Amino acid sequence: MTDLRVLSDIDARVWKIEVAPGDSVAADDVLLILEAMKTEIPVEAPKAGRVKEILVKEEEPVSEGQALLILEV
Amino acid sequence: MSWQKEVDELNRRMELAKAMGGAENVARHHARGKLTARERIEGLADPGSFDEFLGLVGSATYDGATLTAFTPKPTVEGMLTLDGRKAVVLAGDFTVRGGSGGMSGGLGREPRASERALEWRLPFIRLQDGAGGSVRTFEEAGRTYLPDGNSYTQYEVQLLSKVPVASAVLGSVAGIPAVVACLGHFNVMVKEISQIFPGGPPVVKAALGIDITKEELGGDQIHTRISGCVDNLAENEADAFAQIRRFLSYMPLSVDEMPPRAPVTDDPDRADEALLSLMPRNPRQAYNARKLIEHVVDKDSFFEIAPLYGRARITGLARIDGYPVALMANNPRFNGGSTDVAEGNKVMRLISLADTFHLPLISLCDEPGFMVGPNSERMGIERAGARLLTAVCSSRMPWITIVVGRVFGVAGQCHHRPTGMYRRYAWPSASWGSMHISGGVSAAYRREIEAAPDPAAKQAEIEARLNAIASPFRTAEATGQDIIDPRQTRRKLVQFVRDAQRILATQIGVPWIPYMP
Repeated sequence: MTDLRVLSDIDARVWKIEVAPGDSVAADDVLLILEAMKTEIPVEAPKAGRVKEILVKEEEPVSEGQALLILEV
Repeated sequence: MSWQKEVDELNRRMELAKAMGGAENVARHHARGKLTARERIEGLADPGSFDEFLGLVGSATYDGATLTAFTPKPTVEGMLTLDGRKAVVLAGDFTVRGGSGGMSGGLGREPRASERALEWRLPFIRLQDGAGGSVRTFEEAGRTYLPDGNSYTQYEVQLLSKVPVASAVLGSVAGIPAVVACLGHFNVMVKEISQIFPGGPPVVKAALGIDITKEELGGDQIHTRISGCVDNLAENEADAFAQIRRFLSYMPLSVDEMPPRAPVTDDPDRADEALLSLMPRNPRQAYNARKLIEHVVDKDSFFEIAPLYGRARITGLARIDGYPVALMANNPRFNGGSTDVAEGNKVMRLISLADTFHLPLISLCDEPGFMVGPNSERMGIERAGARLLTAVCSSRMPWITIVVGRVFGVAGQCHHRPTGMYRRYAWPSASWGSMHISGGVSAAYRREIEAAPDPAAKQAEIEARLNAIASPFRTAEATGQDIIDPRQTRRKLVQFVRDAQRILATQIGVPWIPYMP
C-alpha cells in the first residue's frame, strides 16, 4: 500500500466532494468536482484504491498542483 | 609483415576516446545522477547497433612521435537503429570541457552528424548536455571570433523540412545548444537534471542583477508549462529515450517516404458504447477528452505532445488501423477548451508536423472560440489567430474533423479547411455558430433589450427564440452536413485514414512550406 496524492490540474474552486474517507474507489471513479470558468470539472481516481484523507473542503479555492486528497493504492 | 602494430595503436586510441573526460570527471558526472554520453546512446539504441563516426577526433599530446595524452572531442556521434530503423545521433559529452566547444574544421574534414543525416536522409537525434561557446576559448585562440555558428547550424535548419529531428535535454544546456534544443520536431527534458537558457544564472546576474537558480530560470516548470519551449517532461533519462523512440515510431525516416504502418492490433469496427453518453447533456459539465481519444484511436496508440502547455488543446500522434496520424482535441477541462496563444502555437506545430511527414490530421472538435479577455489581448491573440488561420488554410494533408460539441467563432473556423481532402462529421450533441448565443444576444440585440420594460426578460425571450433554431439537424437540412451516431466515429476515421493514404502518397517529398520550429 502506498499513498497517492491526487493533485488539482488547475486553479479552481471545490464544488462537490463525492467520496468520504474509507471509501473504496475504482480507477476513473469521480472523487470530487471542481468548478472553474462556469464549468464542472470532475477529478477522477487515477488508480483503484481507498480514500485515506480528504485535504480540501467544499467551496474552498484550490490552486494548480495542490493536493486534494490521498488515496491508498 | 602485418599491420598489427597500427591496429593496436588504433585500439588504444579508441579506448582513450571511450574514457571520455577521464575517470574523475565521469565519476563526478555519475554522482550528479546523470548518465554519460556513451551510456545514453546505449540506452537509446537497439543493442549493439551504434556505429560511431569521428571517433578518433580529439586533442592529443605527443612526446616526439608517441601519443602521451588524449582528450576526445566533447561529443559522441554516429548511426544507430531504433526498432531496426536507422537514425543519426549526436550526444554532448559533459565530461569533456563541460560539453562546450565543438571540433574545428579544415580541409579534408569529415561531415558533421547533421550533414550526414541530411545526405543520408535519416532522422537526427540530439542528446544534449553542455554549453555553447565559452570565453575561455578566446584565451586559447588568442583572439575573439564572430558568432558565425550559422555556418554549421544551417544544416540543422535544412534538416527540419527533410527528416524528423528530436532533442533530449539531459543537463544544463546554455547558449546555442539551448536554441538548437528547439530546432526540431519534438523535444523532451528530464525532471531535475535538465535546464535550458541562452545565458545561465551568472549571465543573468551580470545583466539584470537577479539572483536565480538554474531550475527557476530554465527548468521544466518554466519550459514544459509556461514557455512551451520543451514539449514533454520525462521522469528520468530512460523515459526520455523511450519517448524519443516512441515519437520516431510514427515518423517516416524522411519526407521522401511514407510513415510506417504498424501491425493492426485493434478492431477497425470497434464501436464503444460509452461514446453514446460521453457528451454530458448539461453544458456545465466537462467530459474527459483523453478518454474520448482512447475510444476512437487504436488501443494504447496515443502519444501526447506538450501535455502541460496550452492545456486547453490536446495534441499528439496516434494510430488508426495501424496508420500513424496526427490528432488534436479541445480539452473542456481547461479554460473551457478555448484557444489561446499557447494552444494556437501547439496546433500550428501539429499541422506543420503532419504536413511535413505525411500524416492525416484528426480533429475532435469542441471549440468554444478564442480565449477572450485582457490577458489574451496582451499576448496578441489576433496575430496568433491570423497565423493559425494561415497554417490551416495553407496545409495540404488529409484532414477529418469530428464535431463532438461546440464550434464557435474564428477558432471554430480553424477546424475547417475548404480545400484538399477534408471531411467533417458532427455528433448529435454538436452546436455551432459565428458566436455563442448567450454572449452574442447582448451584443447584437442591445437596443431592443435596453428599450424593453424588462430587459432581462427580453434577453431571455430572444435567447429562447435563437436556441429553438440551433438544432444541428436544421443546419444539416440546408448544408448537407453529415451527422453520425457517436459510436460510428472509429469506423469513419478508419475509412478516412485508409482513403488518405493515396492522397498522402502524392505529397511525398519536401513540404511546400518549410517547417517552422
